[in-house]
Amino acid sequence: MDVVAQLQTLKDKYKSTEVEKAIPVDFDLRNLVAFDTNPVDHALLRSSPDTYLKNLAREGAQLLVNQIFGLPTETAQEGVFAKLPDATTQIPRAKPIPKEKALTRWENFAKTKGIQKRKTSRMVYDEGVGDYKPRWGYKGANQTTDDWLLEVPDNADPMEDQYEKRREEKKERVEKNKKQQRRNAEEASATAAGRNPREARKAEIQKKIVESKGSTASLGRFDAQLRNEDKIKIKRGKRKFEPATVDASIEKEGAMKVAKKVLKGEDGKVLNITKAVKQVHQKGGLRNVDMEEGKKKKRRTK
Amino acid sequence: MRPLTEEETKIFFEKLAKYIGRNIVHLIDRPDEPYCFRLQRDRVFYVSEAIMKRATCVGRDNLLSLGVCFGKFTKTLKFKLHITALEYLAQYAKYKIWVKPSGEMPFLYGNHVLKAHLGRITEDTPEHQGVVIYSMGDVPLGFGVTARSTQDCRKLDPSAICVFHQADVGEYLRDEEHLT
Repeated sequence: MDVVAQLQTLKDKYKSTEVEKAIPVDFDLRNLVAFDTNPVDHALLRSSPDTYLKNLAREGAQLLVNQIFGLPTETAQEGVFAKLPDATTQIPRAKPIPKEKALTRWENFAKTKGIQKRKTSRMVYDEGVGDYKPRWGYKGANQTTDDWLLEVPDNADPMEDQYEKRREEKKERVEKNKKQQRRNAEEASATAAGRNPREARKAEIQKKIVESKGSTASLGRFDAQLRNEDKIKIKRGKRKFEPATVDASIEKEGAMKVAKKVLKGEDGKVLNITKAVKQVHQKGGLRNVDMEEGKKKKRRTK
Repeated sequence: MRPLTEEETKIFFEKLAKYIGRNIVHLIDRPDEPYCFRLQRDRVFYVSEAIMKRATCVGRDNLLSLGVCFGKFTKTLKFKLHITALEYLAQYAKYKIWVKPSGEMPFLYGNHVLKAHLGRITEDTPEHQGVVIYSMGDVPLGFGVTARSTQDCRKLDPSAICVFHQADVGEYLRDEEHLT
């Protein structure tokens, strides 16, 4: 009897795990969300909004937890996990879907030839060291500078520095790669703008030639002729001024237009309220301040 | 001699507006006679329509001056006001400063206006504002740019600079060969 009463008091301490709702609540368990579509009791909400909302939230959370506990579970070392079902709510993307990158020349070629990328391991075994090394990059296996001895090929100049040669070759390779990257980027931007990359490049070179021809002291008059040069026409804008005597009213109108534009900035300045109030009170615009005024007053007080 | 291009007009008016503000309009739209701005040897002249028309028969190389020179464009297309523009600046000035008789000569020799020489100033003049400088007898002496606002000027010590010198009528004697 005593135990039953104690159990009852304990039970009363906590709220029931069962919640009753007129309209069943929808769940999206993947996102851990419960959607309660029951109408809000306005009278209760007005009289005691805090307790009402708290209670509503508790009920929703309770229902959600009940649902989660009803899910199939998996036991792992870290504890018991519930397996969440797939999401039912569609959440819009914050960002647009990224655009597909333009193919490089090699990628284009590989696609037409049907060449597929083969996965190679990143590390390679280096017999000289007896350890695995990265295929390339920092401390990579293709780093040739750490060879302590280099053979001079049969038909090579014996005085040639083979190390220097290697370094030069590498430099050239890097340079070539950079050039190709630049070309790929240019072609991609041209195609993205809907132009033929070849034509775009041609037009740009044409423009550069015209620019460079105009940049000599004689504006290109004494330059050496290039092949096909007469095909390139150099057009330069001529300075145009109004005639010295224009109709006065037209000129005034033009000047007024410019003045209006210039004075717009002056009007657009932030309104100085104290200044504006003073101007209204004094009516005659800004007053002049005598610098001696303050001093005289001081003397009087002395 | 030619009219100013739109860009030049804009630069020129922006500089003028620093001193006379909205009163630019009064320069353009005059009740008595149509006046215009003309560019000759990089200098901007304010001239009446009638005189301008007569000046068209003088060659560009021979025409030295016409009307009132307001200033000139630098080679980097900035506008510099000349003291000859004082006549109109003084007439329409928005902010004014009066120097005491003791400060007139130092200013006319091309020095900045010190606090000790400051007689009167327009109320609420902001800092770095174009101002026209007068003697206490209301004779325009030149123009400059305020170093301090009116409020700050009150607290300044006597030897501090109030207005930066830009041009003064002393230039008519000192720089005669540069003025036209």
